[in-house]
Amino acid sequence: MLRAGIIGFGRMGITHFSILNTHSSVRIVSVCEPSKTMQALLDKYLDVEIYSDYREMIDRCALDFIVISTPADSHADIIQYALQNNLHVFCEKPFALDMAEGNKILTAIQEKPIVNQVGYVNRFNKIFSEVKNLLESGLIGEIMQFSSEMHGSTVLKDSKSTWRGKRKTGGGCMNEFASHCIDLVTYLIGVPDSVAGSVMQPIYSSEVEDLVSATFLYNKGFSGRILVNWSDQSFRAPTNIVTIFGTRGKIIADRHAYKIYLKDDDHGNGFLKGWNTRYITDLSDNVRFYVRGNEFTHQLDYFVNCILQKSFDNLSSFEEAFKTDMIMNKIEVDAKAIVSQTSTMNLKTHKRSTPLWKFWQQESRQG
Amino acid sequence: MLDKIIFGDNQFFGINHMSEEKSQALSERFRNLNAITDVIDMAYESGIKGFMINTHRRAKDICEYFRNNPSRFPELRLYPSMPYAHKYANAVAEKGLFGALNDMILKDSGVASLFGILSKGGSILFEKDMIKVMQLLIDMEMKIFKGLDVKVMFLQNIVTDLLLGFGVKTVFVEFASYIRKKYKVEPGFVTLNMPRLVNFLLDSGVENPIVCSAINKAGYFMNPDIETYERTLHQKQFRPMAMSILASGAVRPEDAVRYVVRQPGIQSIVFGASSQQHIRQTKGLIERYF
Repeated sequence: MLRAGIIGFGRMGITHFSILNTHSSVRIVSVCEPSKTMQALLDKYLDVEIYSDYREMIDRCALDFIVISTPADSHADIIQYALQNNLHVFCEKPFALDMAEGNKILTAIQEKPIVNQVGYVNRFNKIFSEVKNLLESGLIGEIMQFSSEMHGSTVLKDSKSTWRGKRKTGGGCMNEFASHCIDLVTYLIGVPDSVAGSVMQPIYSSEVEDLVSATFLYNKGFSGRILVNWSDQSFRAPTNIVTIFGTRGKIIADRHAYKIYLKDDDHGNGFLKGWNTRYITDLSDNVRFYVRGNEFTHQLDYFVNCILQKSFDNLSSFEEAFKTDMIMNKIEVDAKAIVSQTSTMNLKTHKRSTPLWKFWQQESRQG
Repeated sequence: MLDKIIFGDNQFFGINHMSEEKSQALSERFRNLNAITDVIDMAYESGIKGFMINTHRRAKDICEYFRNNPSRFPELRLYPSMPYAHKYANAVAEKGLFGALNDMILKDSGVASLFGILSKGGSILFEKDMIKVMQLLIDMEMKIFKGLDVKVMFLQNIVTDLLLGFGVKTVFVEFASYIRKKYKVEPGFVTLNMPRLVNFLLDSGVENPIVCSAINKAGYFMNPDIETYERTLHQKQFRPMAMSILASGAVRPEDAVRYVVRQPGIQSIVFGASSQQHIRQTKGLIERYF
């Protein structure tokens, strides 16, 4: 039986608790959460030890692994402490807020027999993993061009009063939202050799970007685009749409279905010339216990299984997540450079919002 | 006795698990309340008396429509679910779970004073009595259905399944007994983990529970798998209600109905439709086989 501790009992922490609590190989020993109200509730209704300080929890509970679902600016410190204590770590994205932190963690983890996973949950969606297999099988030939889009209605007004509306605490569309869209590119297609034409633009927020777009260039001779907007009210829930064009056909996929257009029949994969549609209902995709979406159970079961099997080659490891972090970093650098070159360009779209480069200018003056 | 046929309402809210496009088309079509009530009228006139009311911003308007037209719906029976998520979602995002609950309960001062809930520095003492807080919430929810015949009040699936994972028996037991005693309404539970929930409820002492879950030939939304569902249906004493019988279109209507009625003990079949033709067709199939 693996002994688990959960750090941070917000929306994701609660979901992870529910999923892990029903796992036959896991016993949740402790929860670390600063809210006194939540502590009192946990104490009354659940059989777990409760802590306000994660160090104390790790010191005392003889844990096998921890799940980190705290605000992003605390992730790196918690991970470092867990690594010192040789605990396996599942961490919500992003696992580090900057390249230096990320590098430090990757160095610390090298050679250690520690399962490490970041909550890039799209990698555990059945449709996207099937698309990955189909791409690897060469179904659509050589990839020539792609787009990865993500839309949602997370921010419909300025939310500067919360951590979400501040860059320093890991807020902003890039870290919180676009990271999923970019990670899908890392997963399905790979890391671009360069990034161009990047834009990080506020819509309603005054201190962070609400929209991210960029062009990804690959030395192999193809390119792609990302477009991410978390202020689009027409989308009820966060929605990823990936379109990949290849020399032999094209794939369009979201979480629920994929459509494939082929120039010729592909009997090996069971597809015919022209359009082919597969729905999630066609892929048998049940989980032992469902909360909020199959992929949430898939990702934690996979993590637990890696620990049990002593498998350290993780599908969504810190190393994989770092690739996505590097791309995000490149986009940010590119966006800043473009803005400084084109001072006449007006990205301001809302009278209350200030163009983001003004914050960068302020930051660099302060720094 | 529960209604054998219950008219579902997902279609009105643009819910389609298969496609964004269909989803958009539905939400466009049902933008106006009239479009919704027209379909409800059609369903009632076709002889369906049981209606599911899910937690959506439109739930309130639909109930208002029923109340304003009592002569049109003399035998109407409702099967709503709670909590009324739409009301909470924004508040929770802004103020956090406890802040939002505090505000909502305090705003409803009549209810608060009725129970003399302690308020200290503007914060209700959740830690003291979470069950009482739940009862206050149930009272608030039930107001939406005042004057209407509610047969079963369901706990909606997101909350049911989250709490099921937590494994806290009291919450389920207290929910069931409060609904039954105070409102003389049967408690029910919607879930995507039917076998686990049924075992859990029976273990907790909730006898012969009403459990609404997807039951379809495709095994869609049936966790952990279709075999465990069938075994649970055969072996356990509970009142199953079947929804998602068409598996979002993966199963043909006739096959769907024939599969469901082969399962033992099914009390009701929930289905949604947007046209007279579909309502008549599915209702006809259910009546022929069920």
